[in-house]
Amino acid sequence: MSNPSTGASSKSKLGSSQPSETSFKRKRGVFQKDLQHMMYGFGDDPNPLPETVALVEDIVVEYVTDLAHKAQDIGAKRGKLSVEDFLYLIRKDIPKLNRCTELLSMQEELKQARKAFEVDEEKLGTLE
Amino acid sequence: MKQSKDPFEAALEEQEESPPDSPVGEDELTSQTPNEAQNQTDGGQNILVDDDDDDYDDLGPTIKNPSHPSSSSTPKLHSTSVNASVSAAVTNKNKEYDDDEEEENVDVELSKFPSSADPTKMAKMQAILSQFTEDQMSRYESFRRSALQKSNMRRLLVSITGSQKISLPMTIVVCGIAKMFVGELVEKARMVMTERKESGPIRPCHIREAYRRLKLEGKVPKRSVQRLFR
Repeated sequence: MSNPSTGASSKSKLGSSQPSETSFKRKRGVFQKDLQHMMYGFGDDPNPLPETVALVEDIVVEYVTDLAHKAQDIGAKRGKLSVEDFLYLIRKDIPKLNRCTELLSMQEELKQARKAFEVDEEKLGTLE
Repeated sequence: MKQSKDPFEAALEEQEESPPDSPVGEDELTSQTPNEAQNQTDGGQNILVDDDDDDYDDLGPTIKNPSHPSSSSTPKLHSTSVNASVSAAVTNKNKEYDDDEEEENVDVELSKFPSSADPTKMAKMQAILSQFTEDQMSRYESFRRSALQKSNMRRLLVSITGSQKISLPMTIVVCGIAKMFVGELVEKARMVMTERKESGPIRPCHIREAYRRLKLEGKVPKRSVQRLFR
């Protein structure tokens, strides 16, 4: 299989003046640990083959890259990239769309809960 | 294993059942403390769940519940007191991921279902989950708890878009989309394997075939420009 790291390292050279926080050096196995558990959850062996995990990671990164590029094209009309662009891209895929709306609403609720917690903690602090 | 999605659901469950500004909820929690297992030392601390990894580094201070649930917390999940079930779920959720008892985790997963799923759905899930074998249970657990790291995803998105302004919802959404995509890949790969009458771990050739089929179905975004050199 062709070596993606060479292509990626040229990408990183452009931004290599910045710390590796921003320049994604495309190390092998960025998602590897998570992917192993995930693949097991979805039906693979408890120990997936490392080459399979590496391939899936490559595919996922490519998928996310293409998705992000397309979202950026859409978002460019509006000015900047937003979540709506991603949602627009997956509008045809009903399960994904539902899952994303569910995630977003849960995140909102979490935020509310956290805010409430801060308020309560303050109350407790002042009472005690 | 990472727990990025489930804390959402745990908090959601709690959020929906106890109003956000409820000191009452707090009092109930603290009053439950003597009944609950010793784990819940501070009722206030149990309201929020957070990962013990860097998934939440974008958010505010994380609150950890350090103790392990004891088996006495399991019956509490079915108690009428909502907060008890919530805090028990929170406790179960927030520990380090050693699944000592599968049964506990069964109940944890159940109580975390958002109540947009009505009680009938919950009852159905409960019925199904109670029938699971050990193997199935552990697989289901992996399915629920696994997730791609938000920090890694954020880094990837920043490098792709070149813009630093990647909001947290965006990261979450992309992680969710990617996880479902992995699911589609793996399931299709398994289908390919059964067609070819092979068994064992999934091999790259199966994944490639699955990917090819997904492309034909149009589920993979096509590049407008061909990727010539990898």
